Amino acid sequence: MRKVTALLLALVMCLSLASCGGSSNSAEEQEAPASAASDLQNVQSKGTLVVGITDFEPMDYKDENGNWIGFDADLATAFAESLGVSVEFAEINWDNKILELDGGSIDCIWNGMTLTDEVTSAASCSNPYMRNAQVVVLPADKAEEYADIESLAGLTFAVESGSAGEEAVNELGYATTPVTAQADALMEVAAGTSDAAVIDLLMAYAMVGEGTSYDNLTYTFTLNEEQYGVAFRQDSDLTDALNAFFAAQYADGSLDALAEQYGLAGSVIPQ
Amino acid sequence: MELFQQQLPIVIHSLNIGFLQTLKLFFVTLIGAIPLGLVIAFGSMSRFKPLSWLSRTIVWIIRGTPLMIQLLIIYYFPGLVLGNNIWGSGEAGRFLASAISFIINYACYFSEIYRGGIQGVPHGQNEAGLVLGMTKRQIFFKVTLLQMIKRIVPPMSNEIITLVKDTSLARIIALQEIIWAGQAFMKGSQGISGAIWPLFFTAVYYLACNGILTILLGRLERRLDYFR
Amino acid sequence: MAMLEVKHIEKHFGDTKVLNDISFSLEQGDVVSIIGSSGSGKTTLLRCLNFLERADGGSIAVNGETLFNAGDRSAQSDGEIRKRRLHFGLVFQSFNLFPQYTALKNVMLAKELLAREQPDFKRRRKEILNEIEHQARQLLIQMGLADRMSNYPHQLSGGQQQRVAIARALALEPDILCFDEPTSALDPELTGEVLRVIRELAEKKTTMIIVTHEMAFARDVASHVIFMDNGYIVEQGDPVQVIEHPKEERTRQFLAHYAQK
Repeated sequence: MRKVTALLLALVMCLSLASCGGSSNSAEEQEAPASAASDLQNVQSKGTLVVGITDFEPMDYKDENGNWIGFDADLATAFAESLGVSVEFAEINWDNKILELDGGSIDCIWNGMTLTDEVTSAASCSNPYMRNAQVVVLPADKAEEYADIESLAGLTFAVESGSAGEEAVNELGYATTPVTAQADALMEVAAGTSDAAVIDLLMAYAMVGEGTSYDNLTYTFTLNEEQYGVAFRQDSDLTDALNAFFAAQYADGSLDALAEQYGLAGSVIPQ
Repeated sequence: MELFQQQLPIVIHSLNIGFLQTLKLFFVTLIGAIPLGLVIAFGSMSRFKPLSWLSRTIVWIIRGTPLMIQLLIIYYFPGLVLGNNIWGSGEAGRFLASAISFIINYACYFSEIYRGGIQGVPHGQNEAGLVLGMTKRQIFFKVTLLQMIKRIVPPMSNEIITLVKDTSLARIIALQEIIWAGQAFMKGSQGISGAIWPLFFTAVYYLACNGILTILLGRLERRLDYFR
Repeated sequence: MAMLEVKHIEKHFGDTKVLNDISFSLEQGDVVSIIGSSGSGKTTLLRCLNFLERADGGSIAVNGETLFNAGDRSAQSDGEIRKRRLHFGLVFQSFNLFPQYTALKNVMLAKELLAREQPDFKRRRKEILNEIEHQARQLLIQMGLADRMSNYPHQLSGGQQQRVAIARALALEPDILCFDEPTSALDPELTGEVLRVIRELAEKKTTMIIVTHEMAFARDVASHVIFMDNGYIVEQGDPVQVIEHPKEERTRQFLAHYAQK
């Protein structure tokens, strides 16, 4: 009796292993025609454009009804409309954005993403559509002690892991403490666990200084100018489609109008 | 203070939704891992060598690697390597992938606890049953089962309480459990940004949940205290 | 006709032969003591009689019915063995009471489970269970445990536990009751109460096989003594003769060794 049970168990395990192998085969078979088709055709045939985002005001965030709005969210919705498909927002872990894109769980990363070497080498990126800068955030009462960027040497900078801010500090050769989100970097400074933080200007504008949650912090130096873009899978034809869409939106003034709506006037890059 | 009163209902609502996801993952993991662990335990103890070897190897791999890596592999491997993202892009797929990772991981831990419980019942109990003319079935259900349960309740309680806290690992694949919900207010969400307290507030949920579990499991342990 | 007929029992563990050509017989009401040093095969022999081990050769018959024949594999399924082993009862060295049941329930459990197999169990359920409980209570009273029936094993002394175990074995009314070193796990001051109970059973003509290290007890209670060494029966016969005037050199050595202790 025990032998029979053992054999059955072994059989079940073998079968499940075999079926794993089997499903991978069928996956390749299904994939073969799919990869021949273009990304655009794939998106149109499934009827949705899946946009990978994080909760990041004013680019992508939720309104009172739980719907995604923001400069990027509205723009993505309009782009999906222009393709004749519906838009779907998927909140992702920013550290895994390239994994998400290549793994096929999202079709693009569209979230105030700075065009760094990391993304431009791993993905197909659109033309830059918005200017941004990395700024140094310091406690307001200490800001005066630091006259120039050289005086910051020896401080520890909290930065979002994988962000443009991290890259900027690394270029300077200063010490960093990578954290999982830009907001965490601010918390590090507020809590005194890091001396300073480097975050996006847009974010600093919204979150740092008087009248915000961190009124005892301030931002001073601009490290380097950055540009925002949208990332698609390597060799995707959606990139060209988006560039054309950007050009049209810029030409008829809707891009600037949208920027105005979200308090980003003047940041749009001419297309 | 006024601001806090304004924010509190929004945050609580958000955390409740996240906690629901946490609880869902917790219960689905228990429902799946408790029986699967028994299957793996019997596999490991099998006298059929290939089966016990296979079971022990699986347990070794799963217990020897971090759950976080297992989550990443299970969620991204099909899309990245096999070219077929079987999970879709929605929250449902992320939940399913998390649940499968957690069930496999916890089943392996449970299987070792079961194995200890089964092997910890003295062999003499089985022999006493046999010489009294009981069938193997009767011996299992009338004699050894309760002694096994008594042995596994304390280590299982530990694992179950760890599981509640481990569910937070699922946010690596963007499952929006309670810590994710709390962190969202730091980055800015629903008009609240840079708020740190919601993240710390999630601890209250974990504490409450584990408090209830500790009471329930302690009660079960005490109910089995009448014999040794 | 002898009540128990054991013929040519052989048993190997791997390459080691632990039982060699074991043959003996006993009559209704006999008490057989098996003596010998540890590792001599006494316990293995008892385990073969109770089918906890399967002998590799030989046969066992009770009241003329062959219960075991090493040559006949077809009759050795679990189900068959289960019925046949009920001819024997076994009291373990380490008691092996079921810890989650009271003393009374320990005595009743096996009989209850067997009763469920009776065709008229459903109809006479209440009556049958009452009978079983009555019998179990009588046995525990006989063992001097009238006030311990609702205690759990961990609340009992070793001697009390062993007496419950004896009652548990007697409840199934075996033809032959076997004891595997019943006092070895007990503190010296507790052995007396267990030996007294066994002595009373002997006076009531209960057929018993007792593996023991208590030489004086073996001599006084047994009607027959078997001395085993290295898997063989070296000497057997009248207790006074085997223990006081052994014929074999090895028996003498063993007894001399014991006397020194």
